[in-house]
Amino acid sequence: MSSGSSPGFARRPLAALGLTGLALAALGASQPAAAQSVDDILGKKKLQVGILVDLPPFGVVNAKNEYEGYDVDVARLMAKYLGVDLELVPVTGPNRIPYLLTNKVDVLVATFGITPERARQVQFAIPYSSIDIVLMAPKTRTIANAADLKPLKVGVARASTQDTAISAAAPQGTRIMRFDDDATTAQALLSNQIDAIGVNTITGKQIQTMNPDAGYETKFVLRHQPNGITLRRGQSDLHQWVNTFIYFIKNNGELDAICQKWLGVPLPELPVF
Amino acid sequence: MRAFGIDEALFIIAAVRWTLLLSLLAFTGGGIVGLLIALARTAPPTWLRRTAAGYIQLFQGTPLLMQLFLVFFGANLFGANVAPITSAAIALTLNGAAFLGEIWRGCIQAIPNGQWEAATALGMRHLPRMRYVILPQAGKLAIAPTVGFLVLLLKSTSLASIIGFVEVTRAGQIINNVTFRPFLVFGIVAAIYFVLCWPLSLLSQRLEQRFGTVSR
Repeated sequence: MSSGSSPGFARRPLAALGLTGLALAALGASQPAAAQSVDDILGKKKLQVGILVDLPPFGVVNAKNEYEGYDVDVARLMAKYLGVDLELVPVTGPNRIPYLLTNKVDVLVATFGITPERARQVQFAIPYSSIDIVLMAPKTRTIANAADLKPLKVGVARASTQDTAISAAAPQGTRIMRFDDDATTAQALLSNQIDAIGVNTITGKQIQTMNPDAGYETKFVLRHQPNGITLRRGQSDLHQWVNTFIYFIKNNGELDAICQKWLGVPLPELPVF
Repeated sequence: MRAFGIDEALFIIAAVRWTLLLSLLAFTGGGIVGLLIALARTAPPTWLRRTAAGYIQLFQGTPLLMQLFLVFFGANLFGANVAPITSAAIALTLNGAAFLGEIWRGCIQAIPNGQWEAATALGMRHLPRMRYVILPQAGKLAIAPTVGFLVLLLKSTSLASIIGFVEVTRAGQIINNVTFRPFLVFGIVAAIYFVLCWPLSLLSQRLEQRFGTVSR
């Protein structure tokens, strides 16, 4: 479940994508992923969207065993505006790029942080949501900035933005422990297997609420993460449609309504590119 | 964040059917291919024995996890888009066949030479000798280790969670991420595996007592 690694390995950009990323980088190189246009999706009358199902409130399984969350609502809207059926495909943080590149899904709406490293493999549309990645640790531990992390063990969910952010920010010698998901990383923090955790603010708040006695606090913001719907590269037609779609639901208030529903705050200013 | 309640427990328990289905597919497939491997390993032609030995080395010598990855994501190289359950069943079949083939080869070769020679003396060629003399005896020997391997295989299905197949382990991970109760969640998952495996282990012991000493 856990995977510690030497700092040298952690610094290589591909390491952040995890084992699957590596394997698939090789596969992706030998087999160009199939490009599709808007017409292809209209033709098959179905949009297959990869979503995370273990990242509340963006993608979760509800009490009725249905997928729901911020990402799921965005995916529904997307299918609605395309006028096609929606198929939700559960993916995990580490396997979402492989799922996309091997044509198992058409797009990802998977709280996927936009980074140039990832954009070497996939293509991002303009942001539709954003989260802040912070470093959390017990109050008793003095951590002012990334340089103070050196003697510590820092846990992150592997192949997540917090993984990329910590790997970039932490000084040489920091022990970065990578776990399968946020819940496992949080448990490592609770059981003192790690000294600090890189986590998004929403999950961080849940960890604080659940363990009021542990005295966890936010030490500093690691990264402000705008998330983008993710496509295979070379699909300019579909890319343009997705950008148009995001632009439209930002203007007509539908995206704001989704943000209010799941995060309880108005839609923040989202950058465009 | 949610509390861990009856719905959450049911979500995990409902995933048992997928673990069982995957085990069943893997064991059926692994049994059929494994029998062919065992027969090839003990067949007269050298090339057949070597091919089967190579297959066993290949699949015993690489991690099941990699085999799962290669089948699931690699099928795309050939233009095939296989569902998680199909690729998991294929990978577990190929892997299970290597182990079952080797277990059964051992059982076949454990039949005393006298039996082989007696069958030959009766004018039996290789296939009838296998069919009527060797396999019925080897089968009895094989029951206990085969059931024992079934327990291992059932637990191996948890690896399918990594390619996104929602069996018991993956269901546990999903619920853990909304409830943040890892001890409770994975405790239940472990208990489920125990409930599935324990009767098999008991069966294995029983069968071993019953058939362990064939005609010696």
